[in-house]
Amino acid sequence: MTLKILAIDDSRTIREMLRLCLVRAGFDVYTAEDGVDGLESLDEVDPDVVITDINMPRLDGFGVISAIRAAESRASLPILVLTTESAAELKERARRSGATGWIVKPFDDVKLVAAIRRIAAM
Amino acid sequence: MPDAQTRDDLDNARTHLVVQGEYEVTDDPGVVLSTLLGSCVATCLCDPVARVGGMNHFLLAEGDGSGRFDERYGTYAMEVLINALLKRGARKSRLEAKLFGGAAMAGRMARIGESNCAFALNFLETEAIRLVSSSLGGERARRIRYVPTTGHARLLFVRDELPPLSAAPAGAPQGDVTLF
Repeated sequence: MTLKILAIDDSRTIREMLRLCLVRAGFDVYTAEDGVDGLESLDEVDPDVVITDINMPRLDGFGVISAIRAAESRASLPILVLTTESAAELKERARRSGATGWIVKPFDDVKLVAAIRRIAAM
Repeated sequence: MPDAQTRDDLDNARTHLVVQGEYEVTDDPGVVLSTLLGSCVATCLCDPVARVGGMNHFLLAEGDGSGRFDERYGTYAMEVLINALLKRGARKSRLEAKLFGGAAMAGRMARIGESNCAFALNFLETEAIRLVSSSLGGERARRIRYVPTTGHARLLFVRDELPPLSAAPAGAPQGDVTLF
């Protein structure tokens, strides 16, 4: 079965890089340009994995994680943070909010695809 | 010609050097950002309303031998600069960009200057960030002084004063993965 990925990032450049990498890996890719758009497209896309940036206008990545986890039906939806941030306290905050993993940009295509496959299979 | 205020901004300020792989953002009107560029490109961004600005200084990595350059580090350099500006109150829609550098220097780095320029121009266009001025390409190194709070810049072509070039961009993490 083809995995559906929802990638949320305010940079069009990053969205295009992610689309290229993930389509090449055989995933169905949907993108959203900030946290609000991302949450709005959740019902429509019904993704197997969510990838979210942290620093975004309107609603940041922490807001996305909390809103997803607030819905009982999405308690186990894997959420991967993809960000330029690498501070331990931010990682810990994401973990406590319910994120599944954290990847620091610039991302490596092979590592990203491996992480998605791994968390989707958990 | 710079006006009197610009000269004052540029001359009576504390200078902070931005080296390859680094970036700097400030809202301190007493700070000037300075850098020396050969093949590298510096992106200068300013939000004139929030009076905050900054500069990065990047070099695309050589790719996998296919003759293409790896744009991930350039994208990273742009994103960390923009994120730091937004955290200081800038708005992406108000950002004004100036681009400098990307000269065709001698030797095996000759082509990378052109790739750095193309990448930077394409990035700004894709992200809808307004380019207000640029001095790119050519064969000479450049010294830049930039007032981040006003967006004023001064460019000086230099000889015999080439910046050190390292093949691999510094300062960028390598896609570290943490699964909780």
